[in-house]
Amino acid sequence: MTAVAENPTTSASGSRGELPPAPEGSIAVTVKLHRFNPEVDSEPRWESFDIHALPTDRVLNLLHTIKWYVDGTLTFRRSCAHGVCGSDAMRINGVNRLACKVLVKDLLASKGKHTTITIEPIKGLPVNKDLLVNMDPFLDAFKAVKPFLITYGNEPTQERIQSAADRERFDDTTKCILCACCTTSCPVFWTEGTYFGPAAIVNAHRFIFDSRDEGAEERLDILNDVDGVWRCRTTFNCTDACPRGIQVTKAIQEVKRALLFRR
Amino acid sequence: MTEIERHNYDVVVIGAGGAGLRAAIEAREQGKRTAIICKSLFGKAHTVMAEGGIAAAMGNVNSGDNWQVHFRDTMRGGKFLNNWRMAELHAKEAPERVWELETYGALFDRTKDGRISQRNFGGHEYPRLAHVGDRTGLELIRTLQQKIVSLQQEDYKATGDYEANIKVFQELTITELVKAGDRIAGAFGYWRESGRFVVFETPAVVLATGGIGKSFKVTSNSWEYTGDGHALALRAGAALINMEFIQFHPTGMVWPPSVKGILVTESVRGDGGVLRNSEGKRFMFEYIPDVFKEKYATTEEEGDRWYTDPDNNRRPPELLPRDEVARSINSEVKAGRGTPHGGVFLDVSTRLPAEEIKRRLPSMHHQFKELADVDITAEPMEVGPTCHYVMGGIEVDPDTGQSAVPGLFAAGECSGGMHGSNRLGGNSLSDLLVFGRRAGLGAAGYVDSLTGPRPLVTEAQVSQASKDALAPFEGSGENPYTIHTELQQVMNDLVGIIRTGEEMKLALKKLDELRQRANHIAVEGHRQFNPGWHLAIDLRNMLWISECVARAALERTESRGGHTRDDFPGMDAGWRSTLLVCTTSDEGIDVRRQDQIPLRADLLDLFEKDELGKYFVSEELSAHRAEGTA
Repeated sequence: MTAVAENPTTSASGSRGELPPAPEGSIAVTVKLHRFNPEVDSEPRWESFDIHALPTDRVLNLLHTIKWYVDGTLTFRRSCAHGVCGSDAMRINGVNRLACKVLVKDLLASKGKHTTITIEPIKGLPVNKDLLVNMDPFLDAFKAVKPFLITYGNEPTQERIQSAADRERFDDTTKCILCACCTTSCPVFWTEGTYFGPAAIVNAHRFIFDSRDEGAEERLDILNDVDGVWRCRTTFNCTDACPRGIQVTKAIQEVKRALLFRR
Repeated sequence: MTEIERHNYDVVVIGAGGAGLRAAIEAREQGKRTAIICKSLFGKAHTVMAEGGIAAAMGNVNSGDNWQVHFRDTMRGGKFLNNWRMAELHAKEAPERVWELETYGALFDRTKDGRISQRNFGGHEYPRLAHVGDRTGLELIRTLQQKIVSLQQEDYKATGDYEANIKVFQELTITELVKAGDRIAGAFGYWRESGRFVVFETPAVVLATGGIGKSFKVTSNSWEYTGDGHALALRAGAALINMEFIQFHPTGMVWPPSVKGILVTESVRGDGGVLRNSEGKRFMFEYIPDVFKEKYATTEEEGDRWYTDPDNNRRPPELLPRDEVARSINSEVKAGRGTPHGGVFLDVSTRLPAEEIKRRLPSMHHQFKELADVDITAEPMEVGPTCHYVMGGIEVDPDTGQSAVPGLFAAGECSGGMHGSNRLGGNSLSDLLVFGRRAGLGAAGYVDSLTGPRPLVTEAQVSQASKDALAPFEGSGENPYTIHTELQQVMNDLVGIIRTGEEMKLALKKLDELRQRANHIAVEGHRQFNPGWHLAIDLRNMLWISECVARAALERTESRGGHTRDDFPGMDAGWRSTLLVCTTSDEGIDVRRQDQIPLRADLLDLFEKDELGKYFVSEELSAHRAEGTA
């Protein structure tokens, strides 16, 4: 089976021309991809690929099939391929997910109808090419909340003591993998890119509630800013989007509460 | 040529995993202007996938632990082929590096009295791995990344420039190291986004590029692991040692096909998980090799008692070093006692309460639930060996990390020697920290020692490097993905977990053909974010390094650690003191034998003579303390 391009003006390149034989138990699906090549496209466009997929395949496998067999120029980020590095955040059928953690069987159309899987880059960050965005604004917000341990004097000779309960206090927010699923699902971030966004607040939370840290006041001052936590309108998109299951909105609320009660 | 972007640094670190970041922090702390270069986004390094922990003899959980015990375990794990000086430095310095990481802000699971907790792992005599659930590597990278952000903010306060002393060049690939005479003068590469070329002028390069697993079909490694540092060093004139030793992690996922090879952490076994074949038998008791007989339980009852009473019982054989477990699983599957999908069962569901499994192994619980629809608290996992780690790498001076090329340093997985023929779990993260720091220190010291003008990168060198990088656009042959797939199949089938001389001769022939074909690779499209072009460049490295692996593996006519020969199944004491060294010449890759430096007498004395007798030839033991009285 060969791919069908909706927009034939740019021919697929690096192509082998044919897909491998469909594996047993596979299903024909259409993958509708957001394409943008700044060297030739003035506007993003859609391109659809008809391929075979196993229900147990992940969306990342479909992208690899297209890249390896149909269009070698398809561009996206991926690294560890099982949800730890946080490289392959994208909008899959309209919601932010890691491509390596979404199974095809969870995207299949009901009642035997043909399945189309739509994949776009995460929203609110500039698109460099295809599914790949410029992560700099996201990482700048992360850096702005002083995401490192701040202490004043009293360096331990070996290690700081921390009780299991104190360590548990901020366990949830240490799971963050900086994938940007949360921040780029936030409607406030879409319209006002200056908002720090959920991920930066999560990473501030990780230190504000760390019993070893002495920089909470500095960080709270930063987050009290006009682009800080008060922008959050608790739509819970971020919590739904987090592939690590972090209670993102709750963490933001805890930071708000710390600000309200700090005096 | 005038358009090429140029940068000037004291030290350039290639790779931003644990070793690279620790090296960069050290070089910056020594006052050197430092660049960090990585192929991925900053913070996405392969190190994040490490799950189990950092091995360090802090003695927080069992005070019987100390550096000597850790040293012994490491040497045993590597079947005494390790560079003993590296193993010594590693065992002595790992606790300081873990404590240091804690002061940087790293999160750790804690003991009841609030100190860093430590867990059991294969081949380690005591609970030794400092950890955060099963996401230790992620925490290690995040902590080092945060440390670098804090250093940059310090520099901003002092100079008004965040990047005054340490700058990260992310999504940039280095294709050439440039030398002036015999020493390093710089590095040449391209931005992955724009495809534009960049020249770094620097007297000191630290390679910290990780491993080579992407040359194998079934691997736990991520896409970056294409042997770049190995190949850059080899082509620059450095030597690679121990390349025949590849670690196949015993427990990778085997099903569904889309996730085959993804790692199942050894902590599952450290925390009580057991291996069973299709007949329900805990088969590892059948596979305890002679050299480990005294250290491992011979009955299930004793093995089970060990978890709660380690002082009076021996550990279960599921916790043998990885090479032993991987071979055993392979044998069970070959004997027809495998699972429906060609692995064996790893069961923790009948061993721990569901809540405890979720608490101790949260990532594994999620991984199986989400990717394989298996609830590990209720049913066993199916697992099998997956290509995980290369013990071989750039030969370096243990104390400074310097290779044979002045100005070229290496640390972490791309360096060789530390782990001998097989690495113990947990010894990788500690290796990154100990030798990352030492390489950073070594590079800074080297820069300080230079007198006179710095070596220069010439226009002719830049022009040649540009031409080589662009060659794939001129080709008229095949697509790089085809050749990569075939390479992975060849390495997997012919130079994999069990090897024979005939198969490796065939592999060398096929690698030669692949290299001919790779010379004509055709890449279409433009230079901007062109993944086909990127792969074409990485593929050259993979072909060089695969050939080193196959040649060294053919040469070593014994089985030891991560090198198993079906035609030479035994360990041969005559080979213990011999290393295989790969270098390049005009004819291609040469493999020669090199004597291992004899173990220092005081380190030799840390072992009982009887145990050493299983590995050493008798003349080597004449210096042992027992020799006078025996």
